[in-house]
Amino acid sequence: MTTAINNTEPKLLPGDLAIWLFIFMELLVFGIFFIAYAVMRLQNIEMFNHYQLTLNRELGAANTLLLITSSYFVIRAVQAIRLDNIQQCIYWLYAALAGGTGFLILKSIEYMDKFSEGISLTTNTFYMFYLSLTMFHFLHVILGMLILFAVVIKAKRGNYNSQNHTGIETGASYWHMVDLVWIILFPLVYIIR
Amino acid sequence: MKKVYNVHTIWLLMIVLTLSTYLMGQQGLSGIAVVLFLLFTAVIKGGLIIRDFMELRDVSFLWRAIMYGWLWTICIAIAVTYIIGL
Repeated sequence: MTTAINNTEPKLLPGDLAIWLFIFMELLVFGIFFIAYAVMRLQNIEMFNHYQLTLNRELGAANTLLLITSSYFVIRAVQAIRLDNIQQCIYWLYAALAGGTGFLILKSIEYMDKFSEGISLTTNTFYMFYLSLTMFHFLHVILGMLILFAVVIKAKRGNYNSQNHTGIETGASYWHMVDLVWIILFPLVYIIR
Repeated sequence: MKKVYNVHTIWLLMIVLTLSTYLMGQQGLSGIAVVLFLLFTAVIKGGLIIRDFMELRDVSFLWRAIMYGWLWTICIAIAVTYIIGL
């Protein structure tokens, strides 16, 4: 009796299952936030369209490019560890962290600009959504960077190789989620009118 | 085809789509076609992240349904509210 190997068996989720449950929860929260923004805009279209023009689209676009590129660096890190190239993997992770740092710097410049104009969460509904949505995402970028930093430390200690790199895939999956959320957030808040 | 479609070209495609989104914003364009184009661009970018960066292309249908379902649901809901408001 022979046992047939089923090559069409679906692959498992990359990384730890727990991070995926966390990702699904995060996406649910962001999704509710996005729909709430769109619905609230329906009741205040002129106000949303007016104040949207006060946002810095250049910084928003630059931050999108930074996050996409940082996500690309993370996938390069995953590819490197699969080839047992630990040093390359660490370099790519550092590059991804640099992208995240760039995002935080540009976002901070944007916030400083707005705060110096006296804008706060209570200024109006548009700014309430703009600040709370982007700050909530900002915190996720910080968390993603902390996870990636922890992955770098473990990689430097030689904890990962081509056979065992679940930790890197776990950090990568979370980082891609941060990117995915921004992909919707940027056009929604900065561009679409 | 396999050589052209890889993480490098996917990254480049997402850069180009982001720049197109930014330029449409700079032109101050609005209207149903523009809203749909911008949201469709977001769906394409999001789909590429889910499929190729998160590497979910070969995982079970359930996981893909959750991720793509989230992406499409959010974008369709946004599109509906914007179309109502036009």
